[in-house]
Amino acid sequence: MGSFNRGADPTRQFPVPNQARKPILPQESLLPAISPLAFPLNAKHAFPVSRKIPRMRPPSLPLLLAVLLAPLTSCSEKPGPSNVKTGQQIYSEHCASCHGDQGQGVDDEYDESLWGSKSVESLARYIHKSMPEDKEDTVVDDEAMAVAHYIYDAFYGPVAHARHSPPRVELLRLTNNQYRQSVSDLLGSFKRSQHLSPDRGLKGRYFNSEKMNKEKKSILERVDPEINFDWGKGIPAPSMKQSGFSIRWSGSLLPAHSGTYEFRVRTRNGALLLLNSFQGDDDKAAFIDAYVSTKNVIQQKTGRMDLLGGRAYPLFLHYFSYQEKLASIQLEWKPPHGAWKVIPNEFLSPHVVDPVTVVDTKFPADDRSLGYERGSDISKEWQEATTYAAIEVANHVLANMQSATPLNREQIKDPEKVRHFCHQVAERAFRRPLTPEQKETFIDSRFESQSDPKIALRHSLLLILTSPRFLYPGLADNPGKPDSYTLASRLALTLWDSLPDQKLREAAAQNKLQKPAQITAQLRRMLQDPRARQKMRGFFHHWLAMDEREDLGKDPTLYPDFDQHVVADLRSSLERFVDEIVWSPASDYRQLLLADYLFLNPRLAKFYQADGARNSTFDRVTFPEGERAGIFTHPYLLSANAYHNNTSPIHRGVFLSQKVLGHLLKPPPEAVAFKNEDFDPSLTMREKVTELTKKESCMQCHRVINPIGFSLERFDAVGRFRTRDNKKPINTVSDYLTDNDQKVRITSARDLANLAVASKIAHRAFITHLVHHLTKQSTEAYGSGHLDSLREKFADSGYNIQSLLVEITSMAATHELDRKTAAASSN
Amino acid sequence: MIMRTRRAFLRDLGLSAAALPFVSGLPSLYGAENPAPRQRLIIMFSPNGTLPPDFWPDHPGELGELKPILEPLKDYKERMLLLKGLSNRIRGDGDGHMRGMSCLLTGIELLPGNIQGGSDTPAGWANGISIDQELKNFLQKNSATSTRFGSLEFGVAVPRRADPWTRMVYAGSNKPVAPIDDPYQMLNKLYGKMKDKATLVGLLDDVSDDLKKVSKKISKEDRRLLADHLDLVRAMESELKRADDKKLVHPEPELDPNIELVNDNTPEVSRMQIDLLVNAMANDMTRIATLQYMRSVGQARMRWLNVEEGHHSLSHEGDDNKNAQDKLRRINTWFAQELAYLTKKLAETPEPGGTGSMLDHTTIIWTNELGKGNSHTHNNIPFLVLGNGAGFKMGQCHDFKGQSHNRFLLSLAHSFGHQLKTFGSAKHCKDGALELG
Repeated sequence: MGSFNRGADPTRQFPVPNQARKPILPQESLLPAISPLAFPLNAKHAFPVSRKIPRMRPPSLPLLLAVLLAPLTSCSEKPGPSNVKTGQQIYSEHCASCHGDQGQGVDDEYDESLWGSKSVESLARYIHKSMPEDKEDTVVDDEAMAVAHYIYDAFYGPVAHARHSPPRVELLRLTNNQYRQSVSDLLGSFKRSQHLSPDRGLKGRYFNSEKMNKEKKSILERVDPEINFDWGKGIPAPSMKQSGFSIRWSGSLLPAHSGTYEFRVRTRNGALLLLNSFQGDDDKAAFIDAYVSTKNVIQQKTGRMDLLGGRAYPLFLHYFSYQEKLASIQLEWKPPHGAWKVIPNEFLSPHVVDPVTVVDTKFPADDRSLGYERGSDISKEWQEATTYAAIEVANHVLANMQSATPLNREQIKDPEKVRHFCHQVAERAFRRPLTPEQKETFIDSRFESQSDPKIALRHSLLLILTSPRFLYPGLADNPGKPDSYTLASRLALTLWDSLPDQKLREAAAQNKLQKPAQITAQLRRMLQDPRARQKMRGFFHHWLAMDEREDLGKDPTLYPDFDQHVVADLRSSLERFVDEIVWSPASDYRQLLLADYLFLNPRLAKFYQADGARNSTFDRVTFPEGERAGIFTHPYLLSANAYHNNTSPIHRGVFLSQKVLGHLLKPPPEAVAFKNEDFDPSLTMREKVTELTKKESCMQCHRVINPIGFSLERFDAVGRFRTRDNKKPINTVSDYLTDNDQKVRITSARDLANLAVASKIAHRAFITHLVHHLTKQSTEAYGSGHLDSLREKFADSGYNIQSLLVEITSMAATHELDRKTAAASSN
Repeated sequence: MIMRTRRAFLRDLGLSAAALPFVSGLPSLYGAENPAPRQRLIIMFSPNGTLPPDFWPDHPGELGELKPILEPLKDYKERMLLLKGLSNRIRGDGDGHMRGMSCLLTGIELLPGNIQGGSDTPAGWANGISIDQELKNFLQKNSATSTRFGSLEFGVAVPRRADPWTRMVYAGSNKPVAPIDDPYQMLNKLYGKMKDKATLVGLLDDVSDDLKKVSKKISKEDRRLLADHLDLVRAMESELKRADDKKLVHPEPELDPNIELVNDNTPEVSRMQIDLLVNAMANDMTRIATLQYMRSVGQARMRWLNVEEGHHSLSHEGDDNKNAQDKLRRINTWFAQELAYLTKKLAETPEPGGTGSMLDHTTIIWTNELGKGNSHTHNNIPFLVLGNGAGFKMGQCHDFKGQSHNRFLLSLAHSFGHQLKTFGSAKHCKDGALELG
């Protein structure tokens, strides 16, 4: 790795006197790469800075590719200097032997292709100083600049790179989430609307019993905010009989996130929980059966269910107490990433909805090699999963004909009615009307060869659900000429990860999705749907890497109260924070970075020593001037990016620098472990990190990473405010390099947040992540100018996130139209 | 012609025996690999007591002419053992039906609870494991006797509620095990995905065609994805076709796909469950099974026997109500017929990988929660043994004159080589297992 130290080699002579020994490189350049999420934070004492160590290649590794931490701005159109050889000539003479004639790389020399986000100037400085390897003096000054211009325009810069591998909108299959959402909505489209009033809680009907649990006399009816009762030896309401009473609760469960939920009924008495079944299905096996009590002690019965967030699920809880001294009942859950607690009021509705079809079949994980999930890989496991899932859905429909189809008992026996139902299913699954040939293949032929309509239905459903027309939404498109059906399909997929709803289907049928105003109106309507909110929650999980945080556990001797309940509450606090901002009318992105408040419940308020959270739910608590700054200082993220026993300025710095500030970092040139025991125990964390990263090869990246991390040193490993580290005062002052290479002194997270708010690179990073999450395509796929134009519209809207959602979705849905318009205007 | 149509129909539904692949990880499915003789236990339950004069022989000793209820079993008299005079002596919380049911196979008291019967104090679940689960655990511990499921719990017309009247099988104290009373659910448990994949054989061609059709319309780059998909569909197709060659020792039974789980279809459901039970045992998926008809206090209306009244209400009628007695006789004779069907199937199926028939290696117990319906007595509980699996001396009727039924449960354990000293409530096991050899 000797070559990495070249920059710090005091014996090195620069050929240009006036620049000799001056640091010629801009400080943002040549940052050794870091893979920020590769470090295990919970490693006991040591961890590798990166698990991905670049393959070593003797004798040395040119550093050109490591130069990636730079603005994407281009100034490539300047003509090269005259009187010198052209850049291309210099390149073929001195560079091509290692890098290849098109920068594609040469085996056994430098085999990675040359492309990146560094500016021409940065490239020039680097070439001047460090290239060619071992003959650094051959290409300098103007020649370095010429060759930099040449390679930038020929293959290095983003535009040139895109030219060599033109990005395009790829055909993708449904992601696992899209599959599940689509199936639920496909069958849900035949059920009652899930629209619910804003009331919360469960409706309870209270009875006095005759004998064991015969509901003899109705005593009262009310909405209970949550099911958390311990009546002891008492009774739930006046005039109830302690010796025997029963309560029937009904309503719906409103889970916010998709995933596996655990449920628990805790009671001293008898109870049955029915979840996601039809009302009146009492005789069907209960989801949780705690009907028989034992010795009047608390019994706990649990169940587990996969649910899709943003939907309502019918819930019935039947409870009775008979000749028992003590009476109690609690209905609890453990949401994904959460801790056990009584199901909070906000997740319960007193209104009963129809059940949701949720596919249980497990799918292999979607490809994430580009940093976001997309349906780009076809594996045996996936193909089998789609097959099993189709069987599961067909079985479900056949077993629940009357509830899962719009057909009544008699109609089910009528082949014509069942056939018509199949036509509708296929039309909705394929997102457009069927051709006569498709009708024949998918439905009619099944009914002609089968006398039993149930068997024909089963065959038809299996074929529809395993058809590429359902699995690859892009196949519903009219290539090159998106009609209203194509638009409806794209809007629903982009904003909801699902199929068009009834209003979109109607608009498509009437060809009312061709004008921008029509599309925007639909999108504004669609934003109000829970599926859009669900998709945005998914975005924040992705952007803030919340899905990768399974365990925020800290050293219990150092942080004794930081238990799983605090962690679960912190997660809710962060989710509430982003929800609140995104869905407020201003929907202001800047507030995500600048907000001086946190959402705290009493448990968190106590832990973070804040006043103001009095309710059992979350309250907005404002912190003193400058202390907190949005996601920069949210304790969930501060804790997630810290060691189990200390802060980690590097993790925090890398996380914010990549995710929020928009810098591209690549894995570090060498794996360096942070071993706490190697340091003088009296040092502060800042001092240790400074020491660890002092080598020039490290500082090339850590010049950016460390100041970010240091500015957050006032927050300990669990995100609490502190003034001392290791008994010394904390120093948060650093010089930070802005997008334009300007050195700015920062003293706090808020300073950093202010810089981010003004940074176009940060804006572009946010938009890029959002485009990925919404469309599953690269930003370049829609054409080169779109990112900048989206950014400008974003800025013009006052950084309104909802408007940005509309812009992105509409851009993705109409990209061919856009291109045509552009082509027409340029002709 | 009708038969052919029905077969085609079943195959289309994926219920034919043709495609039984994909369980290569389950060697026991294919039988014949384990040469050690097998021993099996089936416990069949029917509720609400019997009619003693129409059930028990007049005298103990060698079995003479069978009483009317047992008439359907006359072909198996030589292989039958009647155990008169056994009493369920468990007392404590819960009414007679509850204790009759939940203490029948557990031989232990009920826990105090909130379930109130017609009399006595409320109660909860039984406080211990049932004999079938005890033997399951015993067999599963040994690789030579362990099977894929260990035990299977079949039900016929068991109501969808869980209380001490509906559960006789317990995995332990406070741990009732629910029977599966839906033959389709059972079939799915036994043959699940194989069956479903078979359904797809015919459809995969269409999926392939569909893929080819849409591939033509898209760009070269995008076609790669669909080409991969098509390859996988074809791979699945050939995997399914290869698997056709591999046959089970005993093909899975064919079930009529259109039987609704309603009271009036109970006779059909009963036969489906018995077919599945024998099949699962023939393929050595399990060596222990229970077959529970209805539940204690069950009110099944057996209209297929021209009985309109609920079974439990009838069982309360006095001995002098000839009409009720006649109906109860028909009801209990019907249960005996179902038992005869089960016995016949086992007798006619050669023991896989062994000698004789399956019945030679199987012990069937037919029992009830009460000795007599209208008295709710726990004395003279019907215990009828069929088959030669346990090595008991058959063709007999014993009268144990009020011995605790726990001692018989111990005998069952011993017949499997499980030498327990006590089972259930120890105080009812004083003199050890009954001598039945």
